Amino acid sequence: MEQELSVDVSAARMQRGAMLDRIFRGATRLFAIFVLAVVIGIVISLLVGAYPALKKFGFGFLTSTEWNPVTNEFGALVAIFGTLVTSAIALIIAVPVSFGIALFITELAPRWLKRPIGVAIELLAAIPSIIYGMWGLFVFSPLFADYIQPWVTDHIGSWPVIGPLFDGPPMGIGMFTAGLILAIMVIPFITAVMRDVFDVVPTVLKESAYGLGATTWEVVRYVVLPYTKVGVIGGIMLGLGRALGETMAVTFVIGNAHEISASLFNPGNTISSTLANEFTEAVGSIYTSSLIALGLILFLITFVVLSLAKLLLMRLTAREGKRS
Amino acid sequence: MNASSGMPTAQNPSARMPASKRADLRPSTQRPGGGSGAANAPKLTVSGLDFHYGKYQALKQISLKIPEKQVTAFIGPSGCGKSTLLRVFNRIYELYPDQRASGEVLLDGANILDKQQDLNKLRAKIGMVFQKPTPFPMSIYDNIAFGVRLYERLPRPDMDERVEWALKKAALWDEIKDKLKQVGTQLSGGQQQRLCIARAIAVKPAVMLLDEPASALDPISTLKIEELINELKDEYTIVIVTHNMQQAARVSDFTAFLYLGELIEFNDTNTIFTTPHLKQTEDYITGRYG
Amino acid sequence: MNLYTRRRLINGFNLTVSVLATVFGLFWLVWLLWTLLSNGLPWINADIFTKITPPPGSEGGLINAIVGSVIMTGVGVLVGTPVGILAGTYLSEFGRASRIAPVVRFVNDILLSAPSIIIGVFIYEVIVVSMGHFSALAGSLALALIVIPVVVRTTEDMLRLVPDTMREAAAALGAPQWKVVTTIVYRAARAGILTGVLLGVARISGETAPLLFTALNNQFWSTNLNQPMANLPVVIFQFAMSPYEDWQHLAWAGALLITFSILVLNILARVFLRGHRSSS
Repeated sequence: MEQELSVDVSAARMQRGAMLDRIFRGATRLFAIFVLAVVIGIVISLLVGAYPALKKFGFGFLTSTEWNPVTNEFGALVAIFGTLVTSAIALIIAVPVSFGIALFITELAPRWLKRPIGVAIELLAAIPSIIYGMWGLFVFSPLFADYIQPWVTDHIGSWPVIGPLFDGPPMGIGMFTAGLILAIMVIPFITAVMRDVFDVVPTVLKESAYGLGATTWEVVRYVVLPYTKVGVIGGIMLGLGRALGETMAVTFVIGNAHEISASLFNPGNTISSTLANEFTEAVGSIYTSSLIALGLILFLITFVVLSLAKLLLMRLTAREGKRS
Repeated sequence: MNASSGMPTAQNPSARMPASKRADLRPSTQRPGGGSGAANAPKLTVSGLDFHYGKYQALKQISLKIPEKQVTAFIGPSGCGKSTLLRVFNRIYELYPDQRASGEVLLDGANILDKQQDLNKLRAKIGMVFQKPTPFPMSIYDNIAFGVRLYERLPRPDMDERVEWALKKAALWDEIKDKLKQVGTQLSGGQQQRLCIARAIAVKPAVMLLDEPASALDPISTLKIEELINELKDEYTIVIVTHNMQQAARVSDFTAFLYLGELIEFNDTNTIFTTPHLKQTEDYITGRYG
Repeated sequence: MNLYTRRRLINGFNLTVSVLATVFGLFWLVWLLWTLLSNGLPWINADIFTKITPPPGSEGGLINAIVGSVIMTGVGVLVGTPVGILAGTYLSEFGRASRIAPVVRFVNDILLSAPSIIIGVFIYEVIVVSMGHFSALAGSLALALIVIPVVVRTTEDMLRLVPDTMREAAAALGAPQWKVVTTIVYRAARAGILTGVLLGVARISGETAPLLFTALNNQFWSTNLNQPMANLPVVIFQFAMSPYEDWQHLAWAGALLITFSILVLNILARVFLRGHRSSS
């Protein structure tokens, strides 16, 4: 066989090629598995670290509002409450704004403006979270406390039902401020996903709606949104995942108070800010273990939320793949 | 290493088959532009070839013999399996999971579908040019040298010579001899495609597979590629897939018509285009479907 | 009011709201950057780059924190990049028939958005506890774990942009797969992969949470990977939260430095990728 080949091939070289192929494939596979192992490792290490606290407090850890390093009594409810409330505030603000921005970029902006605006919004995500925290604490909070909070408390604080949410002394910091800053931080993430999924809508579909005489808003409302619903929800979930775990910005402005209060203007705590504030200072194994248990809860919540986000976005792309 | 040879070596004469066995291959003795004689032995012998994409069967029991140093064209409507058949010959389909071929494809007497067959070695023997030009992201010189370096260690002057030889073969040398260091992607589409042909020639394959090599090119570049094919067939066995029937008529010596994964008719090009045996072939040739 | 006028009004109103939302988003960006410039610029001086972090009430700079950040970011990227590129290569080149690839892809995307403070807790548990003390090495590894998913994701995306015909063309010449990937596919995607690495650097340069209980901080000059090391984010955090004015000034100066380095990195990565795309 060898002689008749017009290419002179050395058998040894061939074998080396095959061996290098196996080594290369094996190496890439090993590191792919490493990524998986990291996530499993995180879960295991958190479980191990949280075990003493979970054993001591049991299920009550989730429902107790106690957080007392002196008596070594710990419960996660305050931190979970703060995490959920600040994230909820963030989404209430960020979702409509992100939708507006995505709409502006995909449907309204002139061509030359699309990119600069898109990049500027994405830069919001590039600014480190600690900068948001400093700005929130030193610049935003004082202004908020002096000019906006008193007005809101005076006018809305006495309303039935939602009034208590906006009651309390104007401190500037607190859950509402944390939520607002989180909103600004997740806007770029939600906007990016919405923009991407809006771009997925086939031009023919939009053109046929325009062809019937629909306005831009009607095209968005009756063609773009229904078509991209799943992806939009995925984007919101992604933003939620980010907001839940955000640490530094919240730590600056949340006020670090271990109590649940009805007013959003009062200070509180989130899981991540508790960790950031107390982890290095925690003495005693139960204290540290309780903090790690908080971390475990945070990781599980974000894991579920981010998985949902990913699954929803995958559904959209799967449909996309099938059509084309 | 056979660095000295300027041309591919002669093919193995033992692969010749007696004319009586070539029942489905009826070469005409007088063909306009027919190459170095019609009584060539088959270079590739396909028998009972099936091909699957997952559960979808793309080729059904294909059998044909591709004669040496001739141009064989595969024609048929899109999705008929003509490209798939071509991609079996160098087993490039194996880059993708759930594509598989079964049956027999003999190259110089050895079954290339054999599990023992070394894929890289096979592919070095069978050059391929794709529908869209695929210059690598490197200089023109390195594009040509890439394939050569895989199997031969040539001193610089010999490599220079080889690059020049390949580019001349591909009728590209005069146009680009002063810009060998430039990136291949900066050439025009037609030049890129000839660069890819040169790259395939440089490793001195025995067979050249051309998968719609001119479909992405303008008419003038197409003409150049066709002229090139005509010259190359003196030394190479060429198999070309084309959706353009005029092109098949112009460049090929033999033509296979495939439809829905089956080989409908295989004959010398003249016969196929003038007096096809089957009504189905005639309908396609005359544009009644496709 | 007829139906048509009504529809046009609704359209006009909603589109106006959309423009306002965009202005709202940009407003915060401008405000943040303005805050940084006005609070940070007055305190940027030669001392920042020549003196180490001072005790309260005395003169000082940030050089130990700057160097510490550069070292830890550097080690983090050096460790994370090869891991990320190889794992991304697996997903793009070998993962088509693999069962593990979709799982890894899924998990990687979650890791990409997972809270960075959890990475800090993980490294604390695994490395700090077993070593018995905080160290720059632990900080670097925490940063590496944050770089990895970024690089995995961009590597896979960028390798997938390389057309299959390019791989087929190289394989058709008889190149073994490792050669196809390392010499052809990587080369075709190198601008994109480099962009991913740059974005990874930008991402970890400002990360504070994972360093809080891994690298900790260091008042003094130290380049020892086995010891706690000063770093800009944690110094900014501690100084900003302190009651001392000098420290707060240094925190603003550091904040300005870090943010503009990151913005420059981000813009560079974009310009670079775009410039390369349009030329090829």
